[in-house]
Amino acid sequence: MNSKEVVIGVSTALLLVVLVAVVLLGGTAHTPSSEIRPLAKFYLENCLNVFDRTWWTASPEAVTSMLWDYRGIDTYYETSVFFLAIIGAVALFRVVEVKLKAEENERRESGLSIIVKSSTRIIFPLILVVSASVAFHGHLTPGGGFQAGSILAVGPLLLIAAFSRRYLEEHLRFSRDKFLVLRSVGLILIVLVIALPLAAGAVLMLNQPKPWLPAYIFPVAFDPVWTSGTLFFFNVAEFLAVGAGFTLLFLLLSIPEEEFKRVLGI
Amino acid sequence: MSMEQFLQAYCYVALIAIAVISLYGIVRGPSLIKKLIALTIFGDVANALIIYVGFRLSEEIFVPVLPTLEPTPEKIAWFTSVAVDPVPQCLVITAIVINMAVTLFLAFLIIQVYRLYGTTAVKKIAKLRG
Repeated sequence: MNSKEVVIGVSTALLLVVLVAVVLLGGTAHTPSSEIRPLAKFYLENCLNVFDRTWWTASPEAVTSMLWDYRGIDTYYETSVFFLAIIGAVALFRVVEVKLKAEENERRESGLSIIVKSSTRIIFPLILVVSASVAFHGHLTPGGGFQAGSILAVGPLLLIAAFSRRYLEEHLRFSRDKFLVLRSVGLILIVLVIALPLAAGAVLMLNQPKPWLPAYIFPVAFDPVWTSGTLFFFNVAEFLAVGAGFTLLFLLLSIPEEEFKRVLGI
Repeated sequence: MSMEQFLQAYCYVALIAIAVISLYGIVRGPSLIKKLIALTIFGDVANALIIYVGFRLSEEIFVPVLPTLEPTPEKIAWFTSVAVDPVPQCLVITAIVINMAVTLFLAFLIIQVYRLYGTTAVKKIAKLRG
């Protein structure tokens, strides 16, 4: 055991002791107690306060109203981080324009057994329905665009595993460019919904009208469907962006190893 | 120290211990893949810790979703007195998805490193030239 390992071991143990001491001495301000923070109280009180509509978001879901209203700009930038991570992955794969040769890969790419394929055929539409339900009810029930997009991406991943990548590309017409476009459409929709209040002379990302601003754009409900102003549109757009982005990543991840070796000349 | 306080302290110590161990894994992992695994564990523990800070220790607990679209003042007062803290949940929702995207990006990088150099061992990669 050399001195380097001793230093690392001791500093790890020291870090553990210091962090535990900080937390136990009240570093997180409120350790779980019967009371919550005043900030959280404000959000819970105001998210669907129909009696004083100054700060309301017209959504009974406190988490979504915070995500896309109270701190919406923050979520927008989180979305751009996500966007950049996908751009980075696509850029890494830009050298490989895969055109799989059918005859070479016929045997390898025939997929799993009939049992797996049949159950995947049953489950795949269900996954799509669940993800759409989570997205479209994101402003009313737990869930929202991020979660729904992640659920949606599980579907193509399952198809890649059970059938093959070639099946997706030739039978279902999935391609990298389509998902790039779909994801960009989602992001453009988000930007449009953010910028729309400017047309009425209000501020960016305004959801419900404020007494000191002139605008009223997004109605609370298109009778009888409750849409909570912008929240519904944000959720659906984010659903598209996240779902298409992850599907794109899974498609790239499933490019066979031989293709890379051929292209890179290894 | 009451039973609740002891359990709280226990949860904090367990979560922080996992976080520190995964940090050790990130630093000392011999392979890039093992470093990536440690990184995902670290991210998940951080999220769990944030969620735990927002927990509410009381008789009646409720999710931060108002169960009606036509609330009365009493309903809102009840909701405020039982719902858990929504702020940490809101932070974690985005963090999970961003975590997943960054993890996939790192996985791509590691795959590319493996394809080009034929190894993911950090010490061997450091010795490579060109």
